[in-house]
Amino acid sequence: IQYERVGADVTMKCGSMDWDAAVTWTVNGTDIDESHLNGSYLVLKNVGLSQSGQYSCYEGSSWHLKYQTYLRVGTPPKEPVLMCRSNNYPKGFYCSWHLPTPTYINNTFNISVIHGTKDMVCERDAIPKNRCHIRYLQLFSTVKYKVTLTVTNALGKNFTTLTFDEFAIVKPDPPESVVAKPVPNNPRRLEVSWQNPSSWPDPESFPLKFFLRYRPLILDQWQHVELSDGTSHTITDAYAGKEYIIQVAAKDSDIGTWSDWSVAVHATPWTEEPKHLTTEAQITETTSASTSSFMAPPTTKICDKGAVVGSGAVAVCWTAGLVVAAYSVLFI
Amino acid sequence: MAAAESPSTALRRRDLCSRGIRLAGKMRADVVDLLDAYVEQQGLDASASVAAVEGVPLAAVERWDEQTGTQRLLENLAAYRAFRALLAQMLEEQREQLGEADVGLGRALAAVLLQVSAFAYHLEELLRLESRGIPGEEEEEDGPPPPPRLSLFEQKLRGLGVLRELAQWAVRSVRDLRQLTKPSPATGAAPGLAESP
Repeated sequence: IQYERVGADVTMKCGSMDWDAAVTWTVNGTDIDESHLNGSYLVLKNVGLSQSGQYSCYEGSSWHLKYQTYLRVGTPPKEPVLMCRSNNYPKGFYCSWHLPTPTYINNTFNISVIHGTKDMVCERDAIPKNRCHIRYLQLFSTVKYKVTLTVTNALGKNFTTLTFDEFAIVKPDPPESVVAKPVPNNPRRLEVSWQNPSSWPDPESFPLKFFLRYRPLILDQWQHVELSDGTSHTITDAYAGKEYIIQVAAKDSDIGTWSDWSVAVHATPWTEEPKHLTTEAQITETTSASTSSFMAPPTTKICDKGAVVGSGAVAVCWTAGLVVAAYSVLFI
Repeated sequence: MAAAESPSTALRRRDLCSRGIRLAGKMRADVVDLLDAYVEQQGLDASASVAAVEGVPLAAVERWDEQTGTQRLLENLAAYRAFRALLAQMLEEQREQLGEADVGLGRALAAVLLQVSAFAYHLEELLRLESRGIPGEEEEEDGPPPPPRLSLFEQKLRGLGVLRELAQWAVRSVRDLRQLTKPSPATGAAPGLAESP
């Protein structure tokens, strides 16, 4: 295999053949035009990824194979992106990595973890291959961990280093099984419950605290509630009849950072069963122009009880009814 | 033969542990604030590595989950007694060095020292509850000779090491006390405390 960088000029010799020998070059079985030849040498200028392939050189008359190589065009690795996190504190942490841009050829990754002067073993996961995990041998240490990731391929090498302390990388997975339900006969409440992330090994000794955020779908602004314990909460200020989106995040009670937000759940607070009077109101509105006698339509949309708070609801409904009646008379 | 724990002892322990957890939590928050102020006032680099300083109890521990309750209490008590002496020394050095300039820092140091003393006493109460003898504190005359006087810069670095380690201990103490409140599956007593004498 011959590795070359994208943009390089590549010259291939046909084995031990003289420069002025008559040869034929092929790539993946297809003849290469003579314009790419300099004598018996194959010259590829400014190679691109599409020029990767099997190159063969045959002696002109005998068609004997004189040289063959597999050309792989790629790039040396850029500085890799490395991340380390403990989502299962206090058991250990994992590091995962990737390259910011592909190299188009095989890369080998090597990771080293040092705690003070001690080398630690980071066990590679089978899947995904770009991850390894470490068990904590000590807890509550002020000595930092230094993780160095080196990436090597046939065209070059690169590396990156992360230094951190034990507490800084603690970040649980998001809470699981988030459920939000309306509360019967309570038009402004939603009951939310969730579970600790299953990856968190000992929530009793290492309890999590939670952050809940919620908003009606029609608004952009979130409401937030921080909860120091427990895995449920009742929202008591929901807008009646409005669909809500709700998410929860988790954090160790003492150290580290907040998890990502959980999967969003949707819920709408309980509303009273709508009356069947809507149909009558629609008929009344469409025929009001030709009606000689008029009856005030029963109040429905204007006076949705769920949208009105407090004892003023009844007074508002009567007033709205009178206004509609007045307008209807004008159109007769 | 280990005696079964009385309900009142269990309740008292739970109560002491809960209060201890709150004390340690508050102490940690104050130590973290003090650390920020200390770094700034002393002109230090917050990310500077400080080698382990002699006499500063390290919070780092192996096999933490396998420790008995008594071990936890004894290690905590030894640590906070040491911090009490170290902080008193820092306070004295602070007053000698700076006079009026860092009154705020001096007050913050004194407040943390008070909390450390209170926490040490709290740990003694927990040990008394377990009918454990409380280890005596080392008398000055019996202890090792005092270390040679450090330069101003060395004092500052040591102070940084002391506060960093104290912040770690505060977190560890919360975890240790939580472990003490967990019932043992066999006896119903807290783990590692219902031991035969």
